[in-house]
Amino acid sequence: MYILSSHEIKQLAQELQASHEVYGPQVDPQTQQVFFDQLTDVAALNLEAPIPSMPVKEILFPQMERILKYRYDSEAQSVTMSKQYFEKPKVLFGLRPCDLSGILVLDRFFLGQEFVDDVYLAHRRQCLLISNTCLNPFPQCFCVCTHSGPDADEGFDLDLTKLQDGYLVKVGSEKGQALADAHQWQLASPAQLSEQKAVVDHCIDLFPEMATDNKAWISRVMNRITTGFVKQETWEYIGDQCLECGACSFVCPTCSCFNIEDTQTACGECERLRMRDSCSFEGYARMAGDHNPRQPVEDRRNKRFFCKLSYPQSKKYLRPGCVGCGRCQWVCPGDIGLPNVVQYIRREITGGQN
Amino acid sequence: MKAMNYKACVCNLCGTGCGQFLKTDGQKVFGVAPLIAHPVSKGKLCIRGWHSNELLSTNERITTPLIREQGQLRPASYEEAIALVAERLTQLNGEAGEIGILASARSSNEDNFTLARLAHEVFNTRIQGIGAEAGHRKSMASLEHAFGYPGAHGSLTSIDKADYILVVGTDITRQNPIIGGNIHAAQRRGARVVTLSSSRTQIAKLSTKHYQQKPGTKGLLVNALAKALLAIRTVNHDRRANIDLLPGYAEYVASLRSISSVALERASGIRYEEIEEEAKHLEQAKSIVILFSSGISGLDRPTIDAITNLALLTDRMDNENSAVIPVAGISNLQGSFDMGVSGELGNSVFKALATPDSPIKALFAIDHDDGIIRDKARIAELDFVVYSCAYKNAFMELADVVFPLPAYNETDGTYTAADKRVQITHKNVDNPHGVLAGWALFQKIAKTMGHDWQYNDTASVFNDLAKHTPGYHDLSHAQLSKGFGQHWNPKAFAGYRQRKFNAINIEYWESPTTAEFPFALMIGKAQHYWHQNNLMRKTIVPRREYDQTLWLYPHGYIEISPDDATRLKVKDKWLVNVHSSIGTHMKIAVKISPDVQNGTAYIPYFIKNMISDFLLPYENAYAAGEESVVPIKIQEA
Ligand code: SF4
Ligand code: SF4
Ligand code: SF4
Ligand code: SF4
Repeated sequence: MYILSSHEIKQLAQELQASHEVYGPQVDPQTQQVFFDQLTDVAALNLEAPIPSMPVKEILFPQMERILKYRYDSEAQSVTMSKQYFEKPKVLFGLRPCDLSGILVLDRFFLGQEFVDDVYLAHRRQCLLISNTCLNPFPQCFCVCTHSGPDADEGFDLDLTKLQDGYLVKVGSEKGQALADAHQWQLASPAQLSEQKAVVDHCIDLFPEMATDNKAWISRVMNRITTGFVKQETWEYIGDQCLECGACSFVCPTCSCFNIEDTQTACGECERLRMRDSCSFEGYARMAGDHNPRQPVEDRRNKRFFCKLSYPQSKKYLRPGCVGCGRCQWVCPGDIGLPNVVQYIRREITGGQN
Repeated sequence: MKAMNYKACVCNLCGTGCGQFLKTDGQKVFGVAPLIAHPVSKGKLCIRGWHSNELLSTNERITTPLIREQGQLRPASYEEAIALVAERLTQLNGEAGEIGILASARSSNEDNFTLARLAHEVFNTRIQGIGAEAGHRKSMASLEHAFGYPGAHGSLTSIDKADYILVVGTDITRQNPIIGGNIHAAQRRGARVVTLSSSRTQIAKLSTKHYQQKPGTKGLLVNALAKALLAIRTVNHDRRANIDLLPGYAEYVASLRSISSVALERASGIRYEEIEEEAKHLEQAKSIVILFSSGISGLDRPTIDAITNLALLTDRMDNENSAVIPVAGISNLQGSFDMGVSGELGNSVFKALATPDSPIKALFAIDHDDGIIRDKARIAELDFVVYSCAYKNAFMELADVVFPLPAYNETDGTYTAADKRVQITHKNVDNPHGVLAGWALFQKIAKTMGHDWQYNDTASVFNDLAKHTPGYHDLSHAQLSKGFGQHWNPKAFAGYRQRKFNAINIEYWESPTTAEFPFALMIGKAQHYWHQNNLMRKTIVPRREYDQTLWLYPHGYIEISPDDATRLKVKDKWLVNVHSSIGTHMKIAVKISPDVQNGTAYIPYFIKNMISDFLLPYENAYAAGEESVVPIKIQEA
């Protein structure tokens, strides 16, 4: 482990910019909203900014992208195709641990199973991940309940923790080690290592009781959801509050659903678009022959929570499908962000007492 | 390549005016994010807002001026197309009513203001109108009478603080979902939310109290609530801020007194005792927000008058968290009215088109995004039709000259939300075809026709409109760019604070249903977030959602209660014949819904042939919007 000054961190970002597209948290000056976006100038990199409003999955799994173009030549009766996604070296600089966990879940989904998604792979390969320990939780966070924060324990190339003096840098991969070796960074002292632990413990202490208290409840709720013991009325209560906007899926670092559509751009020429989708939509689960296993809104809602909080799903991701970022709570025009749903189910279990 | 990043703007897809970011590289739009600091939407968007990127990426754009030649539209230069427009329109007599203007409630204030100038100063015509204006005109008239200015009283942000929220009619979680979400949040923090609606809409389910009245009696119930409130006041001898001195008070109170509880219950199905209980809550509230839908599916005038009167009678309208807001389904309906492009009585373009012997010969139309074109046959017969729009659309088929327009993020523009909040959207993408903004196009046409306006940019148009539009005087682009908009200032109206009661008539609505036509059919329940909005058909995921319903019910559907379905011996998705009492007929599928009352039936707005074949002949029903009722019978097909 190494210790770097703030200046060295900025220098690293700057240096990486020569060979990589560098993405990092920055604050929109007009609205003060935080986005994890490409940096044209590393001066805008703000490692102390609160959790970005949109998940970092944007970079690996964009909201909408053109993935293919094809042209039909009717004379020659031939089709020419060209893919529209390209591999570029990238650095994701200053990932919040929950967003890092989100990427690990997406990796499992897009790369880790029977199929490998070529588009995701192209964005993901040559991607350097630099995480950043949270010093204090943001209002909606509950990563302590989902084992995804406030510090990262796997998946990063480099991991930063801001200490009183400089940043403690952990190495998590060969790529990370190569960077460290190339720079001959200064090794961290034992005192700095324990300071890092203290920083994390302090952050955990700062979590509101609700979040920490929920920890045990999340496991119980997972059990209930997996075994199908949540009452229909509870799902209906939840479903009644869903305005079917799709926001919860769009901002969730682990939601991976997408839709594909080919549109004509000119005579004989088409492009294939891939855009995000959400299980909250009625058309999402519609099958041929008008069959829709999830037509009522409450059935669509419990699908989402099944996806985030059931054992089979966790087995697939090797961790819970929810990484505790709290964004769904933030964007939901109803009152059914994931932490609240845990509360509702908890209330059901206790018969209304907490 | 330029780096992509998020640019703040205002969602242009309904009258809520939510704050939005578009992720762009200056050429294309790739994504959307909600704007957390926005005072109304507070980091939320509805399905439409979240998919703006799909709309803004569509290839279905008009890219160049077009001229019809031998029946076909062919590309033309601006010069050629404008010269043709000038030549043809110069030959017509605007003053004699030969030229009509059909404005759009989606256009920016700058575009609408210059369009009004073009109409009045260059074409010399006053024959004009805004698509979807019918209901809003009534809301404006009633509000102006009551509060002294034609616009909402108070702000949408009041929902977050008010004690008492009354939602009259509108299926608000579908039409303006973010307002619906804010109301739901208010209910959770302890506000009393009361919904008056003949079917169990989502907001009805989320309310503290839902009065599921019989169709056609919303106004009566609002008046009954006023009567009950008045009774509490009288008993308490609690005289408020001279409400009783306002003009119209005596007549209003006399009318209220005539409400009989027996007749009320028979007409509406709601007991007066319940209303008396409700009045106690209303009396307790310090701040009161009343919301009702305006625009295509707006309410009728007597119902709106009942609402504005009740608002005045509560005597809480001076509280900073009180409001009366006509909720518009379209982004700039309020602004279009403010800019003076609505059809004044006697000058309505709709009237001109619908009257067979009217002198109208040419139509200058903007952005007709509805799938259903009223008076289509008449428009097709006109001598000359000019149409401007960003997107390809059925209206093009009627046009002799077509002009492209930029999308809402391809030019600067201001839009006035339902609560009079004027907000600016800055250009964040170049129009790939370099098309002229609406105001610049109109300026060019004016110039060719001998009028030089000398606007340099959108901001200079705004400065001019601010000078000439009451309420807009203190506003400018520079200042609107700083925050999240500003409400226009009602103090600019001479009648400001001269509050007056509207005259009401207590009528016990008799259902037009008969033994032969026993069902009360209502239109205007927005099943799918939009009416006949063609813009959503240019997206991908929302369009799938829309089609999802069409696939299940390819000919549209009629919603009836489970009891009625049993009585009619029909099952979900079965086809039935629906006959109206004036003889129109359609074949349509049944959708069984527990949210619908026995004896009532709903059809959604958005299915084209349902409206054009079945409802349009029912002129009054269509015009009366949400309060209209068509007597029908339903038979097995
Ligand atoms: S479910 Fe909600 S809290 Fe959990 S990871 Fe997704 S957005 Fe974050
Ligand atoms: S099914 Fe729903 S919750 Fe699961 S990844 Fe897809 S959109 Fe997200
Ligand atoms: S954000 Fe809330 S309202 Fe929107 S789809 Fe998700 S659960 Fe439903
Ligand atoms: S509520 Fe209206 S303004 Fe807000 S996101 Fe939806 S369509 Fe846009």
